[in-house]
Amino acid sequence: MICSVLFYVFYPLSRYWFNRSPAATRENHHSNGTSVWDGSAVPAQSQTTLSAPVGAKTEMEKRIKEPNSEKGENMEQVSNLQYSETNVEFGPKMTKLEEEELEIKNATCQERVEDPQQTDWEPKLGSQLGRLLLQDYIPKTILPVQEAITSPSLEESAAPSDRRLQQTASTGEKQKDSFLVPGIAKNSQLSFGFASPNTATHPVGVECEQPYLHIPARPVITQVMQHPPLLFNHRYCHFPLSTFEAPLPVEWRVWQEVVTNVPTSKPDIQTFPSVSASLDFTVMSYNILADDLLQTNPDLYAHCPQEVLDWNYRCMRILLEIQKWAPNILCLQEVQENHFYEHLHPVLSLWGYNCVYKRRTGTKTDGCATCYHISCFSEVAVSSLEFYRPETKLLDRHNVAIVLLLRPVVGGSNAKALGPLLCVVNTHLLFNPRRGDVKLAQLAILLAEMDGVVQSHKARGVDCNLILCGDFNAVPYMPLYQLITTGRLYYQGLPAERISGQEAQSYGTSCHRLLAPLWPSSLGISASCQYTTVPKRLTNQNSLKTGKCCYSPDFLLQMRFSPAACVRPVDLMLIPGVTDIIPDPSKDIPANYNERHTLHHQLGLESVYSHFLPGSGNPKVTTLHSKGGATVDYIFYSPRRSFTTGQGGSPGFMREGLKLTGSLSLLSEEVLWSLNGLPNVTMPSDHLSLLAKFQMDLNIA
Amino acid sequence: MNNKFDALKDDDSGDHDQDQGSPKDGEKEKTEDEEKEQNVSKKKMVVPGAGEHPLQYNYTFWYSRRTPGRPASTQSYEQNIKQIGSFASVEQFWRFYSHMIRPGDLTGHSDFHLFKEGIKPMWEDDANKMGGKWIIRLRKGLASRCWENLILAMLGEQFMVGEEICGAVVSVRFQEDIISIWNKTASDQATTARIRDTLRRVLNLPPNTIMEYKTHTDSIKYSLGRLPRPGEC
Repeated sequence: MICSVLFYVFYPLSRYWFNRSPAATRENHHSNGTSVWDGSAVPAQSQTTLSAPVGAKTEMEKRIKEPNSEKGENMEQVSNLQYSETNVEFGPKMTKLEEEELEIKNATCQERVEDPQQTDWEPKLGSQLGRLLLQDYIPKTILPVQEAITSPSLEESAAPSDRRLQQTASTGEKQKDSFLVPGIAKNSQLSFGFASPNTATHPVGVECEQPYLHIPARPVITQVMQHPPLLFNHRYCHFPLSTFEAPLPVEWRVWQEVVTNVPTSKPDIQTFPSVSASLDFTVMSYNILADDLLQTNPDLYAHCPQEVLDWNYRCMRILLEIQKWAPNILCLQEVQENHFYEHLHPVLSLWGYNCVYKRRTGTKTDGCATCYHISCFSEVAVSSLEFYRPETKLLDRHNVAIVLLLRPVVGGSNAKALGPLLCVVNTHLLFNPRRGDVKLAQLAILLAEMDGVVQSHKARGVDCNLILCGDFNAVPYMPLYQLITTGRLYYQGLPAERISGQEAQSYGTSCHRLLAPLWPSSLGISASCQYTTVPKRLTNQNSLKTGKCCYSPDFLLQMRFSPAACVRPVDLMLIPGVTDIIPDPSKDIPANYNERHTLHHQLGLESVYSHFLPGSGNPKVTTLHSKGGATVDYIFYSPRRSFTTGQGGSPGFMREGLKLTGSLSLLSEEVLWSLNGLPNVTMPSDHLSLLAKFQMDLNIA
Repeated sequence: MNNKFDALKDDDSGDHDQDQGSPKDGEKEKTEDEEKEQNVSKKKMVVPGAGEHPLQYNYTFWYSRRTPGRPASTQSYEQNIKQIGSFASVEQFWRFYSHMIRPGDLTGHSDFHLFKEGIKPMWEDDANKMGGKWIIRLRKGLASRCWENLILAMLGEQFMVGEEICGAVVSVRFQEDIISIWNKTASDQATTARIRDTLRRVLNLPPNTIMEYKTHTDSIKYSLGRLPRPGEC
């Protein structure tokens, strides 16, 4: 009943778009003829991408063939853009599922090469699906969509739980239109237009009467057209370069390798013959927008068609995106607890991830989840941090973090020896733009915990590489970001509103300025973002395993004027002017006096992303909603440092840390608005996913 | 313990050569030598008091000062260095430290040395003879803070290089102050690199700070005048 009502509601719309689409399709077909030319022109334009032009060309040719070979349908017959887009986007994903499983079995971290000869993937897909569904793991939404792809004739068989998608499935191809309201349809055209370079130059077929657009589409696109690096859809640069893949759901986001001119591989080998292997791994940080938060802030998403806000749909797209990039480590924020356990975790564990989930304290239903692929890492330790500290007035907000210590899995077994560890920290700091003081304190707790992990392992001679990622609710180069990246922040007198920089204009009435100390010493965290009282866990480890008496400088300073320390030693020789000082706690200004107004840390973190687009200089954004966009998500890491030693003797080299080898590009706010803002039909959250690839040395003796 | 004092310099901390280019006296005096050894044997090991926080190692404070007006060459390093006291716990450390002047307030050509108990702040000590030191030259005004940070890191075992650390020195000179940290094995590049790395962190040095590593054998050679110092000729 409901179905038929919906059907009649949507059907006219679908007819409307069906009639419009041939024009766009013709454009696209026309562009097919010029695709090779476009492709060949692109490498000359794109200095930022690294793939060989030859490779790009062959990939492109493959792609041109792809619809024919894979669909068994003539491209010209596909007068329905949505149909082809759906195929291109969803189909190969499903075939990858199978490979994903193989990959897990093989316990390799590398992406496999798809078989381009595979022409009968639809049946395979079906069986694959069947298998997955048998396990009852997949969110139900995936079912109807996939059925729609695999068997349009399965008319009445779709799960009735999802009206919209059922309708899609029930009437086959035509109804694909009805599934997509105008806004989405336009997006689909857009994204299809940009999905392949052959059509990339013809987005002008898209009109801009879209009422949801805040920025008119046409001017934006024109502007985008002026930026060759953006135009060149370089999805094939996704590592490894030879991988054959279908067009991305994530349009315009290109994989960018990091150019390095590190000259010193030879000395490394000479000095450290033990450095025999390295591990490449990818990290994704993704705020996936909890459904409860979406529901409570509808004004932020007023520009979005209801369909793209549906959790079932978003969940499917989120999973597809994760599957697409197959990160070895996945850090999610705003993960609603029930969605995690019912929808995400089952699929992720099927894909070979172990997950740690931490819900926020208080009444909010979302939290953070950190997942790692068991083929690459094993868990050494995990701790979840709660920033809510009832005994500290400042820390009254319910934010959390997960600190996960991982050991690389090498050659099927854990490198038990002295291989470096990887500490992955995932957090979502307080949003409130006015409470920069709270954010700083939350960050300090996090940094102290990281410092504790690093120090306790350094004490045992084990290096610890760091990844700190998540949603920090702070924009680049503002004080909070400064503290992370420079290790130092003089905060005395700063307005609390300025700490995060989220809303540059918001302050004015209230002008709460930060004063030292930010938090009481009872919190147990110093201005150097270290635990003043070494947590018992660490103390025990130290004393049990090494018998060492390690004290942080802050801990030592606490005892400076303890009663026992103020007594003149009986055996202290009196040297006038040297040892005749009388200790006076009130008069003695600590040597670190200036430090008291400064927060600092020694973790040496850098951001994976730069924050402006090359060329245009426009800021990149990681989040966008109706009130604007900004970069608030980051992946920070401890970068590889090579240094020389021994000036007196022969020069030597030593290195530690992570080498950044690539990242998935971000987009500007304008480009995102031209895609209808966030979330949209291909980007299921109001944040973009961040993805980076690192290389870590494994010092296996 | 066979201490060869025959190559002793009046200055072993940072090679502050501006004021003393001449080779030092190479003679050792037997009597002095013996005296020293007696001192060592006489000394009883300190232990942490009840309820105090024990340190990983016991340490000894030393103080040295070149008597003004006398040419360097006539002064024995041994004559000028004084042992201030030894400690075994955090509290005992502060007891000494709080009664001592800050290095930044020292006048003249003076040094504070903080070495593990049993290691003399001399190149020729068994623990030092294969070793070297990282040297950081500081403009005036920074010595007190840097010295405190340095020794707190050393006492708190922040360098994570096992038993490699021997001690630390702050040298007050006319134009600048010098801090240095000594380790046992100059040829162990992994260790020296780690020390340098930790130094940068604990001292909060600006990235462009120049840090120089110098082996004690080099120091001896140059100080004996056999070779010109780099940049000297």
